[in-house]
Amino acid sequence: MKYLLPLLVLLPLLGCLDDDDQLDPLRDVQFTLNYRATYGGDPLGIQRETYGYPTGDSLKVLLFQYYVSDLELLPADGDDAVRLAEIDLIRWMSAAEDATQQRTYLVPPGDYRGLRFGLGVKPSLNARDPSEFAANYVLNEAEFWGPSTRYVFAKIEANAMLEDDGRFDTGLSYHMGSDALYRTVSLEQPFTVGGNETPTLTLTADVLRALSGNGQTFDITSPDKQTVHGGNQEVATGIWNRLAGQFTLSVE
Amino acid sequence: MVRQFLITGTLILLAAMGCQEEPTGEVTIDEGAITGPASPTPYALEVPAYFPAPIDDPENPLSEEGIALGRHLFYDAGIFSTEGTMSCATCHKQELAFTDGFGRAIGVRGEPGLRSAMSLVNLAFNPNGFNWDGSEEKLWRQAIHPVEDMLELDNDWEEVIHKLREHEDYPARFRAAFGIDNKEEINQELTVKALAQFQRTIISANSKFDRVFYQNTDFFTEEEQLGADSLFFVENVPPGTLHPGCGHCHNAPQFGDNKFKNNGITDVASIYDFVDKGRGDITGNPFDNGKFRTPTLRNIALTAPYMHDGRFATLEEVIDDYAAGGHGVENEDPNITGFTLTDREKRALLAFLNTLTDESLLTDPRFAPPE
Repeated sequence: MKYLLPLLVLLPLLGCLDDDDQLDPLRDVQFTLNYRATYGGDPLGIQRETYGYPTGDSLKVLLFQYYVSDLELLPADGDDAVRLAEIDLIRWMSAAEDATQQRTYLVPPGDYRGLRFGLGVKPSLNARDPSEFAANYVLNEAEFWGPSTRYVFAKIEANAMLEDDGRFDTGLSYHMGSDALYRTVSLEQPFTVGGNETPTLTLTADVLRALSGNGQTFDITSPDKQTVHGGNQEVATGIWNRLAGQFTLSVE
Repeated sequence: MVRQFLITGTLILLAAMGCQEEPTGEVTIDEGAITGPASPTPYALEVPAYFPAPIDDPENPLSEEGIALGRHLFYDAGIFSTEGTMSCATCHKQELAFTDGFGRAIGVRGEPGLRSAMSLVNLAFNPNGFNWDGSEEKLWRQAIHPVEDMLELDNDWEEVIHKLREHEDYPARFRAAFGIDNKEEINQELTVKALAQFQRTIISANSKFDRVFYQNTDFFTEEEQLGADSLFFVENVPPGTLHPGCGHCHNAPQFGDNKFKNNGITDVASIYDFVDKGRGDITGNPFDNGKFRTPTLRNIALTAPYMHDGRFATLEEVIDDYAAGGHGVENEDPNITGFTLTDREKRALLAFLNTLTDESLLTDPRFAPPE
């Protein structure tokens, strides 16, 4: 009888819990995901590093950014994926920045088999205008083409030296994005969260492999292929597909 | 025995009373105390549906009283300049979309400052620091430096705060805005926070562009439409044939991405040779030299001369310079590529830029000098 009252108080509270509630701040573990950018395998140094390009030219990268949607950890036992973020913009734009950026999340302890994310802005968010969000949200007008063309999913910008004169005076600017280009990227790499030590995952994107890889490249000396903002879709789609296909995941 | 006791007691009492200070008949008064209302009324910014939500500043929530105080301060030359000749509004005139018409802002001593006075519209939507170089992260902190700058108000905060505390009206306004009890609590931080509250309310969102594009209550002329569709917002960029699209950095509805870029207007041999290093002076990184904020183009027809140092007198000069395509400095924005424009296209682009003027802003009584 003496336990009846507490039980009656507790029962309605238990009823408030949602079956879909995955995160439990008392149980969950802090988990770190590194976003790493490289160029030809070397850490990306915005502006401060000079890189070679397969045409024999040199370039300096000024901007590399991409959106990820529905970033999720995949449980090893096949349970529902654990959502880390609905949308994020990963960006390198300053010479002072490190090639590796860190994000931390709270996740349930357990065994996982890998990571999954959508490269770009998922269609349900791509349909929403910047005016639906705060001005400092990752979906904002600076990353928005317009009412019909929507958000720019990824940008690579650089200045190239096309003549051997020491002048990086040819702008290269590749902006990509559309619902049709949205890709889901799944990377298998088993790891365990919790226990003695929670590992750090590193998701690496290589700018050179996006510009030129898998035996494909394009000629940056061609004026038609120096600025692609939706026009030259052959170039844009090529870069996009290579970008989507080159992510690697490592566990440390 | 009882009598002896009474006499002794009376003597002790008299002795004790003798230790007390002579009453003066005066009541102690805290001369710094402020009376009056002290409960700020929360204020929600009125934002059109086509604007994003403003960026909150939990350190400086808006209140009706705070905004009113900020407005008074903004226009009060007697407080901010030693000779009572200059206020914030001297360099930020409402009729010029809160700029001053000078290439470089003229200070209280008549000397030009380092850079031009920026427009103050739509600051509530700026996610990336303030000033041309992003030197201040918070809007309310931005107002600290101009008061002391020799090339601006050339005052000192001690004097400003002294004037505010001794003023017949301001202490009650500070109490109403921030709930303070005493004049001694009036300080630099509350002063600039009030200024920032007023500035955050200056929203410009009723230009012809807004009426055509968002409100559906007006129409572009054929020339304006050409400027908008074929030149300003162009996304496909066949090389050398069309303008590369101002909208890439100046997208609607704010028409300025507030990022820091070298927009190719300065011809220097290397990134180390910029006279005004702009963002580079803030970050200490030479690759940021010559980079400045991408400002809003709203009301651009009213805010001449142009660029951070007012080097271009007209919008025609601005367009001609962008068309020339920069100077090949290694940290120039790669989207500065040069382009050709026919006279007709140039007129169209100018016509479109003129549609960004918000006439209602210029006479909006909420932003005018207080009565």
